[in-house]
Amino acid sequence: MSWHVLATVLLGGLAALDATPVAQTMLSQPLVTATLLGAIWGDWRVALEVGVVLQLLAASTLPIGSRAPEDYATGGVVGAGVALLAAAQHPFLMVQESAALVGVFAGVVTAILGVPLVKWQRRRNEGLSRWCEDEVRRGHEGAVGSAQRAGVVLAFGVGVGYSAICLALGAWLLGPLVAGHSLRLARAWALAQPLWIGLGLAQIVQAFVRQRVSRVVGYLAAVAVAWFLLIVTGH
Amino acid sequence: MDGLRRGDLWRMAWRTLLLQASFNYERQQGLGWAWALQPALERLHADPERRRERLAAHTAYFNTQPTLASLALGAVARLEEQRAAGAGPDDEAMTRVKGVLGAALAALGDRLYWFTLRPFVACLGVLMVLAGSWLGAVALWVCYNLFHLGVRFLGVFWGYRAGTAVLEPRLRGRFERLTEVLAVTGAVLAGVTTAWLLAPAGQPRPLVFEAVLVAGLGLGFVVGLKPRPSLAEWALGAGVLCVVAAWFR
Repeated sequence: MSWHVLATVLLGGLAALDATPVAQTMLSQPLVTATLLGAIWGDWRVALEVGVVLQLLAASTLPIGSRAPEDYATGGVVGAGVALLAAAQHPFLMVQESAALVGVFAGVVTAILGVPLVKWQRRRNEGLSRWCEDEVRRGHEGAVGSAQRAGVVLAFGVGVGYSAICLALGAWLLGPLVAGHSLRLARAWALAQPLWIGLGLAQIVQAFVRQRVSRVVGYLAAVAVAWFLLIVTGH
Repeated sequence: MDGLRRGDLWRMAWRTLLLQASFNYERQQGLGWAWALQPALERLHADPERRRERLAAHTAYFNTQPTLASLALGAVARLEEQRAAGAGPDDEAMTRVKGVLGAALAALGDRLYWFTLRPFVACLGVLMVLAGSWLGAVALWVCYNLFHLGVRFLGVFWGYRAGTAVLEPRLRGRFERLTEVLAVTGAVLAGVTTAWLLAPAGQPRPLVFEAVLVAGLGLGFVVGLKPRPSLAEWALGAGVLCVVAAWFR
């Protein structure tokens, strides 16, 4: 199991890089990281259950301007990681569902608590950019590349460190809960999963509809037609 | 003075991937911008003093939507080329052009990438996973990057070719039409996802699931009207209530 944990923590670092400093290819989105973790741990079911919920909650979290959004990059990795760790020890359906519940909790908490860390990195980078301008004016053009490298290394280091701490805390605090109260937690999952999915899906619908009546009608018509076709054809 | 070559533009395009490597509150993408423009400045200014002065000037504040920053980068490289030939804008005008391009591209790019494409690919990926395919994440990643990496690399060339006319109505119109098409298709996709959640593969879910899902949707619409508390905080609170309800049932 140790290499699984190591791979999870490293993925946390990569996700932290993709979120803002490098390329923004959406590798850091919870559904992508959960799928990768599902492959690493060999448990798609739990990983994707957590990934779907966190992805829907993360889809409307926008990195616009200087706003520091919730850190769903690390949250997605930690959420799926905690769930997989908890489920790995007890491969029963009820335990898997309770593991998914604690995984989503761990992911959301990690995402919320990650905001001050993102702000801290940005403040540190302020000093870096001032230093860089001074160095360039002094004749050291390579300072721009050095500053960029420093920014990347800092983001990766923070991502790895934060993922490791959250994963360890999540497994330590929530793991015994899953083992001891799986029936209650599985019951809670039956309520929380549709509620979370609804919350996230509503934000996505709002993003498309943008208060235009024609699009609201399009959305509702799609629900009705697709539902009818599903019931009639069965697939 | 040499003009810019194709290889210089490719180097700039690659470097746009690190546009936000040292993102900060004071200069935002300023340092990444200077890093991406450095290959052009090296080609255009043989005099080290002049080159350093231009490079240092470009570390100043700059911010826009990161994907469309490539267009601004190409356009500014073109201006730098004209400047090196003795015909381009002065320092003040250059700062103004960067500011205008940054703001205009942010308005266009935020709507396309953050408000539309990102939720669209998320919805597509989630629907595929709900339908039983692990390829949802692959679909999410590939669909997004067709638009993202494509524009990120080619944008430098488009911007360089068009110069400050990069935001001419034709290109703007294309981006706006794409946003519109994705938003309409996305509304339909979200509708199909909702229907699948209610009756996956034609098997209606238990009434409790359907009722809680609809309640979540309703709550989500109300929650979305106000920025605080955030959706994550609402999700956390709602999750705790579910645990309490299940615990004491």
